[in-house]
Amino acid sequence: MQLQYTERQQAFRAEVRAWMAAHVPKTPLVTLECREGFDQHVAWERTLASGNWGMVTWPEDYGGRGLDLIEWLIFEEEYFRAGAPLRANQNGIFLLGPTIMEFGTAEQKARFLTSMARGEVIWAQAWSEPGAGSDMAAIKTKAIRDGDHYVITGQKTWSSRASFADWGFGLFRTDPDSKRHRGLSFILFDLNSPGITRRPIRQLHGHPGFAELFFDEVRVPVENCIAGEGKGWDVAMATAGFERGLMLRSPGRFQATARRLVELYRRHAHNAAPAAREAVLQAWMGTQAYAYNTYSVAARIMAGGRIGAEASLNKIFWSELDRAMHRTAMQLLGAAAELKQFGDGTANDWLDGYIFSLSGPIYAGSNEVQRNITAERLLGLPRLGAG
Amino acid sequence: MTMLMDPAPSADALALATSVREYLAETHGPEVLRRLDAASGRDPAIWQGLVAMGLPGLMVPEDAGGMGLGLEEAALIAAECGRVCLAEPLVDTAFIAVPWLLAHGDTALLADIAAGNRTIPLPHAINPWVDGGEGLHSVDPLRRLGTAPSDPPTDPHLLNLGALMTAAQLVGLAEAMQDQAVAYAKLREQFGQPIGAFQAIKHQLASCTVAIEFAKPVVWQAAAALAAGRSSAAIHVSHAKVAASDAAWAMAETAIQVHGAMGYTYEVDLHFWMKRTWALCGAWGSRAFHLARLDDAIIGGAHPIGPEHTFA
Ligand SMILES: Cc1cc2nc3c(=O)[nH]c(=O)nc-3n(C[C@H](O)[C@H](O)[C@H](O)COP(=O)(O)OP(=O)(O)OC[C@H]3O[C@@H](n4cnc5c(N)ncnc54)[C@H](O)[C@@H]3O)c2cc1C
Repeated sequence: MQLQYTERQQAFRAEVRAWMAAHVPKTPLVTLECREGFDQHVAWERTLASGNWGMVTWPEDYGGRGLDLIEWLIFEEEYFRAGAPLRANQNGIFLLGPTIMEFGTAEQKARFLTSMARGEVIWAQAWSEPGAGSDMAAIKTKAIRDGDHYVITGQKTWSSRASFADWGFGLFRTDPDSKRHRGLSFILFDLNSPGITRRPIRQLHGHPGFAELFFDEVRVPVENCIAGEGKGWDVAMATAGFERGLMLRSPGRFQATARRLVELYRRHAHNAAPAAREAVLQAWMGTQAYAYNTYSVAARIMAGGRIGAEASLNKIFWSELDRAMHRTAMQLLGAAAELKQFGDGTANDWLDGYIFSLSGPIYAGSNEVQRNITAERLLGLPRLGAG
Repeated sequence: MTMLMDPAPSADALALATSVREYLAETHGPEVLRRLDAASGRDPAIWQGLVAMGLPGLMVPEDAGGMGLGLEEAALIAAECGRVCLAEPLVDTAFIAVPWLLAHGDTALLADIAAGNRTIPLPHAINPWVDGGEGLHSVDPLRRLGTAPSDPPTDPHLLNLGALMTAAQLVGLAEAMQDQAVAYAKLREQFGQPIGAFQAIKHQLASCTVAIEFAKPVVWQAAAALAAGRSSAAIHVSHAKVAASDAAWAMAETAIQVHGAMGYTYEVDLHFWMKRTWALCGAWGSRAFHLARLDDAIIGGAHPIGPEHTFA
């Protein structure tokens, strides 16, 4: 058990803190979910890259710093402490990046990772389909081999950032006669390819945060397939493991929310319900527990371990914690909670945060499905039907 | 005849509420909400329809052109307004302002209100906005909030009326979201079956149903207590506001969860109901405010809690 940051880690923290203090935009960016805000966030990705902060764990050859996962966690803590903008390339650097690192060829790594770390290519994830949400093995969109290309026809949906992103990574049925998990392949595609139509979908808050993608005989070179034809499900499960288990939501994000919640409570203490006081303490306790757990997961992976079904526990924990923290804030705000801007003109970030927190128990595999996985794979309880 | 201790609304009141429900179901469906939202405005025909039903005058005495009905009927109809996510100022004007004016013997405006010619935005120190005005933006695209005046009234009776009618609307909002979630759970299939077949979905919806069904009698009890002018009315109103808010808030979170990503879109109508719920849960006294009143009365001892005091 190692519970002290090393001198090197402390120096690294100081370096990140200083850089963030000098570079994080002083006024918040416009929301990432619209054209203007998206462009601002892409510009921020490039600023990050100019300091070599795109993805600190990647080798220097790919635009990283060759650091370990503990240093990544420290980076994330400082990132959120500084109130830095959300990452436009989150699905690239946190989901696709580690996947290519594990399954990609040397050629694929060189081709995709560097431009990702530099914020030159922004990625969208295209797994879900209208008929394949929780039941991802029901994917129907076909990618049929034709010489040295795949020809993709079908429809994806709920693809975050796809309204404005450059490239997508998806799961497609390369064997038209296959069923369920077999016959799927993990393929990368240029979102500007002829034959792709994007239809932005307005989210709860009114902005087009995700999009439907229609593929009409879209030609994609076979070298864009990761880990070989028919291996898509296994690759996707590994990606989902990174997503749920470690990369997508680092503890720094939630710890920053918990600190803001404590501040909010202090301002409202004179008219807060007793339950709110406990909920604020629960927020601090929950984010601490999440941090301890994440450090252990990181240490295990650094020692050569893998993320298994326990990633489901992680997903349930952070998403419900985030929702509970924002719900508490909404209650503390009382009748002002519904206001988009408070009377003094400042934006009500808690409202936006609460709305977004409602999607946490849905995306990255719904919490109902994560509870099924927990019960069946971790606890060994019997399965009922197909669920 | 024995007096039945039954806080459920009377058959007449229920019949009236049913006719309002049927009228609103026909004339004020989700397509109306979408249309109003897109045009970012009001449609005078909606108000005229409510006037034709006599609803602005529901509580106005008959000699001033109204129906002379009480808070219990008004609360039931407020629930119907919540059910269809009505954005017209009916509840504020007819079910909060009118009984407040009556309580003050202020009858000058009543005939105008009953005729549908006047609506009354109500500032109160408990709210940082006025419903009916300009200058502030609610998450609810159909709410029109104005900046609060510098010296708003602090009248506790007005607050109780506001909180009661807000609780009643929350009951209707919750039931509407319940209907939407149940309908979607029957329709949407994953893994070869309707998602409503999964116990994870069934149990969440069942839990919300328990919360809603046990909030309803509390709201009707509060309406009866306030109507009878009982000194304990404030406690019942606070109880109603907390119970209805908690049920509706949980129902909103469950409804979006049941809808999956669909529920996170602007294209599925659920968002109108969720946003109204978030707004009304804080309106006319937050959870903290109403719990503090209960705390003073119950733990502080001002309100009797023996078995003979169930209906105190
Ligand atoms: C904000 C947001 C961003 C997203 N971004 C992306 C993206 O970038 N790329 C992408 O591919 N997808 C994305 N998604 C889609 C996401 O992956 C799906 O929403 C998720 O997989 C659930 O699928 P669904 O929405 O079709 O819900 P459904 O599968 O229809 O589920 C509806 C309800 O039924 C429940 N349910 C389903 N099956 C079971 C079962 N067996 N047992 C118990 N309960 C069950 C679910 O838990 C849920 O409550 C995003 C979604 C959201 C909300």
